[in-house]
Amino acid sequence: MTRSLTPAALTAALLLLAAVVAGAAVLGETPDRGSPSAYALLIGAGLGYVFQRSRFCFYCNIRDAFEGRGTGPVLGIVAALAVGGTGYAVLMSTWLPNPRLGLLPPEAHIGPVSPVLVAAGLAFGFGMVLSGSCISGHLYRLAEGSTRAPFALAGTVIGFVLGFQSWDLVYLDLISEAPVPWLPASLGYGGSLGLLLAVLAALALVLLPGVKRDSAAPAAAASPYRALAEAVLVRRWPPVAGGAIVGVLAVLSYFKVQPLGVTAEIGSLARTAAADLGWLNGRLIGLDTFAGCATQVIHAISDNGLLVGGLVLGAFAGALPAGQFQPRRQPWPSYGTALAGGVLLGFGAMLALGCTVGVLLSGIMAFALSGWVFALAMLAAIRIGLIFTRKF
Amino acid sequence: MNIRQSLVRIVSAATLMITTAVAAQAADGPLVSTDWLTQNLKDPKVRVLEVSVVPGVYEKGHIPGAVNIVWHTDLVDKVQRDIVSKDGFEALTARAGINDDTTIVLYGDNNNWFAAWGAWILSYYGVDDVKILDGGRKKWEAEGRPLDTATPTPAAGTFKVKDTNPALRARLTDVLAVVEKQKDAQILDIRSPDEYSGKIFAPPNSQELAVRAGHVPGAVNVPWSKAVNEDGTFKSKDELKALYASVGVDGSKPVIVYCRIGERSAHTWFALSKILGYEVKQYDGSWTEYGNAVGVPIVNVAGTVWGGK
Repeated sequence: MTRSLTPAALTAALLLLAAVVAGAAVLGETPDRGSPSAYALLIGAGLGYVFQRSRFCFYCNIRDAFEGRGTGPVLGIVAALAVGGTGYAVLMSTWLPNPRLGLLPPEAHIGPVSPVLVAAGLAFGFGMVLSGSCISGHLYRLAEGSTRAPFALAGTVIGFVLGFQSWDLVYLDLISEAPVPWLPASLGYGGSLGLLLAVLAALALVLLPGVKRDSAAPAAAASPYRALAEAVLVRRWPPVAGGAIVGVLAVLSYFKVQPLGVTAEIGSLARTAAADLGWLNGRLIGLDTFAGCATQVIHAISDNGLLVGGLVLGAFAGALPAGQFQPRRQPWPSYGTALAGGVLLGFGAMLALGCTVGVLLSGIMAFALSGWVFALAMLAAIRIGLIFTRKF
Repeated sequence: MNIRQSLVRIVSAATLMITTAVAAQAADGPLVSTDWLTQNLKDPKVRVLEVSVVPGVYEKGHIPGAVNIVWHTDLVDKVQRDIVSKDGFEALTARAGINDDTTIVLYGDNNNWFAAWGAWILSYYGVDDVKILDGGRKKWEAEGRPLDTATPTPAAGTFKVKDTNPALRARLTDVLAVVEKQKDAQILDIRSPDEYSGKIFAPPNSQELAVRAGHVPGAVNVPWSKAVNEDGTFKSKDELKALYASVGVDGSKPVIVYCRIGERSAHTWFALSKILGYEVKQYDGSWTEYGNAVGVPIVNVAGTVWGGK
């Protein structure tokens, strides 16, 4: 811990947080922005901070479980889904009291389930293996000085453009008539939440035996304050605590802004750039009829852009005091795989209408079957991808 | 009693008098203020309806007691490309708790864009007492007034449609009759100047298009947004009168308003008919019907007929 908790790092983190708070205050008073934009920035910062402090990285946590390095981190994702799903049930049952009317709750990430979603989940999973993380992971890793993350994120933009160019082709044949299953429409809110919690509890029971105890017990700190500071600011948070906070932030975000997602802005930037360059015609058939990490041709920062910006700033506020901002040059081929993996991430996220955050987290919390289908396809791809990478 | 106490009493009494006056003031015009609505929210004869363009806005916080009207399912018959049927409308008024003696106050986002459309449909089906909250969501939120997230379930309304008001609605044949000089009326296009001239077929990201760009021959152009102030309220009666008179629309002849898909123009219909008292029909077929119709003339000053030059 020699490089952690230096006054300079603490000051930098506090300045970042002050900038986020000031930015939120200004947004709150800006005409046509107001509190949703302010909350988008704040929730993004909170999310980035928690992602960084608890290492809420889908790929690393799943890889650790697959490779026998402990299943504890995956429990963080399970906790996020349990807390988020419970909160979503409360909100949805208030907003759409009767789930059997054939209507869907507003804005929720409930997507079509088709072979395209499976293919998108597989592409996304392989992209994670190649690039070393998912999109939200790369975003928060910018704050840890990851030199691969910028390549992966650039690849993501390219992948989005490729996705847009494939969209019309797959939409008509495979997506347009695909079902959009939403569990409460048949099971009600109570039944859907009960089922979700039962599945998550079963998952937790399967994962529990594989939890590894943290061998690096903290050295006795000089004072209780120092001990607290180290537990919060330096050491990795317990995954379940981090996950539970992610669940709370997801519910707050759905309530105040929109369901959590990190690709709408990135996708919109890609779509705008491609449209400006004449690579896309102006219309993508049917795309704008789906809820999810919707993309549009934009020329202003959306609330999702504020959330993503906040996420990166929050992650810096988490990484700096912990001494975890450590850029390292990587060999060039590694940047090549980051870029290629990023292309798969973007391609998968475009066709799935979101990523691990938008489709998996926000989708499963919203009782959408699409969230589970994407999750299973992604898990299969990670499993296969890991076997493959070990061979080479 | 010391001076401070006297002052407090005087101020309280004055405040009470003003608020009582506001509450008692019958909202006899087509618009109600945020103050009036605040005072009358608990009145069982007042029913507040939100019609917002953006889905999810209502759910995250609406005026307490307001019922949500979803514009693209509650107010249209998609299969017929028509406004909601009489049966569908009665189902909606029953769900919203509307009776014959209910005062309806509509509001929404985007400067009451679709709230005005709701007002047009309610008026078409013969609901008498239809008002709009001046400034809509924008002003209500800017003033920091209370919002609620609970979805109210009012007792079923008993309103039944007696007569419709076809005089409020123009059909393609009515518009053509004016174009061909068989009827005398003024046509007002409330789209953007670029749509009016034919430079663009529709605003960016619009899915519903016409095969030709341009406008109805003889139509004048006043974009709908010119009727509102920065705070979302309608401009004053005199300002509105001057605005429309500047293009020759002064109420001396019947007016037909249209837009692209027939919703935005309801905002101008409300300004002209309800605030200024002119005789106005809304052509809800609008440019997507007219521009696509076979054998009808258009004006295209931009030279972009059939998408070519």
